[in-house]
Amino acid sequence: MSSVTIRGVKKRYGAMPILHGIDLEIRDQEFVVLVGPSGCGKSTLLRMIAGLETVSSGDILIGERVINDVPPKSRDIAMVFQNYALYPHMSVYENMSFSLRLRRQAKEIIDRKVREAAEILNLTKFLDRSPRQLSGGQRQRVAMGRALVRDAEVFLFDEPLSNLDAKLRVVMRTEIKALHQRLKTTSVYVTHDQIEAMTMADRIVVMNAGRIEQIGTPLELYDTPANLFVADFIGSPSMNVIRGVLGAEAGRAFVELPDGARLFVPAMASGKPGQKVVFGARPEHCALAQGDAGVAVQVEVVEPTGANIQVYTKLAGAPFCAIFTERHDFRPGQTIRLDFPANKIHLFDAETGARL
Amino acid sequence: MMSKAKRSILYWIILAPLVVVILFPFAVMFVTAVRPRDELFVYPPTWGFSEFRWENFAEMWVKTNFGGALLNSLYVSITATSAALILSIPAAYAMSRYRFAGKGLYKNFLLMTQMMSPIVLVLGLFRLMMTLGLVNDLNSLVITYAAFNMAFTIWMLQSYFNSIPRDLEEAAWMDGASHLTSLIRIFLPLAVPAIVVTAIFTFINSWNEFVLALTMMRSSEDFTLPVQIYSQVAGRYQVEWHHVMAGTVLATVPVAILFSWLQRYLIRGMALGAVK
Ligand SMILES: Nc1ncnc2c1ncn2[C@@H]1O[C@H](COP(=O)(O)OP(=O)(O)OP(=O)(O)O)[C@@H](O)[C@H]1O
Ligand SMILES: [Mg+2]
Repeated sequence: MSSVTIRGVKKRYGAMPILHGIDLEIRDQEFVVLVGPSGCGKSTLLRMIAGLETVSSGDILIGERVINDVPPKSRDIAMVFQNYALYPHMSVYENMSFSLRLRRQAKEIIDRKVREAAEILNLTKFLDRSPRQLSGGQRQRVAMGRALVRDAEVFLFDEPLSNLDAKLRVVMRTEIKALHQRLKTTSVYVTHDQIEAMTMADRIVVMNAGRIEQIGTPLELYDTPANLFVADFIGSPSMNVIRGVLGAEAGRAFVELPDGARLFVPAMASGKPGQKVVFGARPEHCALAQGDAGVAVQVEVVEPTGANIQVYTKLAGAPFCAIFTERHDFRPGQTIRLDFPANKIHLFDAETGARL
Repeated sequence: MMSKAKRSILYWIILAPLVVVILFPFAVMFVTAVRPRDELFVYPPTWGFSEFRWENFAEMWVKTNFGGALLNSLYVSITATSAALILSIPAAYAMSRYRFAGKGLYKNFLLMTQMMSPIVLVLGLFRLMMTLGLVNDLNSLVITYAAFNMAFTIWMLQSYFNSIPRDLEEAAWMDGASHLTSLIRIFLPLAVPAIVVTAIFTFINSWNEFVLALTMMRSSEDFTLPVQIYSQVAGRYQVEWHHVMAGTVLATVPVAILFSWLQRYLIRGMALGAVK
């Protein structure tokens, strides 16, 4: 096991820049998730770590060793591909033992390692089957098994669950996490699903358009998103955001919305009156206001999910979602007043998107 | 709704004329091949024969030097097929996996060569072989057959190679395989169906080729089967048709049987290649 260091790494395809300078330190035994919208360069970065893409500039290190020019076969990295890439002409056993056979390990050692991995992954019954005769979830586990038998320094995963149905995805993500807690192999996991990122990661790297937007633990990203992009990306349903202008009156700071309504915010260290800002509040952090505090919104749709109710409303003409765990009985068209706990409010600069 | 049986009968009736046209020459060939000599030109013509003469084959074998021609044909076809494959597989792999300058142009060039019939090139080829001192040498046929088939084999292999996911090779590299190892243990086994198809195609083309063989081969020890059989007909006072047909049967039927057997293996291979 090893740390992975990425220093000022850039990637160009021809003249087109894809990654604009990535700096990232992945610690030994850590499970890091790269998350971001489609086309932001997650796979490209992962494949550069694997050695399947060249590095245009910058350095990639495993441990202390710069591996820019080391071919993939000598990097001691195991990778799980999105479509599993199982060798179709080999049985499950042969698939899982391929890397060991290449290393000319003794037959008994190979057999023991494959059976151990098969045991962990519940594949023992399927060892003689060909990949064609397996379900999607079983194939996924074989792909994991192929990585597992190797005791590699680093595991890479490129959206390994995206071909599975929703239910299986939840099961597998718990299994992968449990597996990591047991083996503790340094892992880099790519996904575009923020829930997967939140549930599995020690730390999350949010990427957008070839840049890193923020690096942090799941809760750091949730509680203090560094910018609007991260605020919008992390959390489901996403954070409500509304444009306004910062103002102050009688020692109290507020955001004035386009329709003149005022949302009171804690006194801001940065940000000055007259500044254009974006006010953000997560749906689950809305509360019903007491008396005429807070701000009035119009209820449009009410969706009970059982655990809670999601209320879709309009605030100053913009959609605004609130989630309550109490069983309120709201009617469409009704006007209610929402309030936001001061420590759960997010403010961003309207121009740069940076957190204030 | 027609029943399934009715429908297939209808289709067979529609297809029947075609079947007759295709099968007629074969029927004549078989019947003639096993007839005694004096029944060859009975009038009116019949499909029957008084005895089934296996001896026709034995006599023909000796009289027409069939064995020698068979060996020549086998040598030329097998060597040409191997040469075409050995050169096409790397070319097709490069076309499928690498980007290089002039790739599109090269592809078009390959296609264009297919539009030319070898016959327009016969004179040029003959002079070329003269210069190389290869006239009357079976290797001249090996070279030309391999060359003429390569455009097709590269094209065909390339499009099949495109359908073999790159991920598989990348996974092998990650597993610790070198480029060469991943080629031999992962890529080529998956490419077998395409390789077999192109091999069959090249082999049959070479086996049946006539014009070039007739041009390049001057002495009768070097004749391939088509030329040898032709020489039993052309410019003779008396044609031994039963021997000619026996020769034709021997030249076509074993090959046809071999390939229809290979084809079954081929379909199995295709299913194997399917990923996901
Ligand atoms: N071989 C290539 N040549 C040119 N551009 C490429 C190549 N491979 C990828 N790209 C571009 O690089 C960008 C990043 O691609 P990448 O596959 O890393 O995205 P991603 O974040 O993994 O997206 P997804 O979630 O859809 O898998 C994309 O805009 C893509 O068009
Ligand atoms: Mg990707």
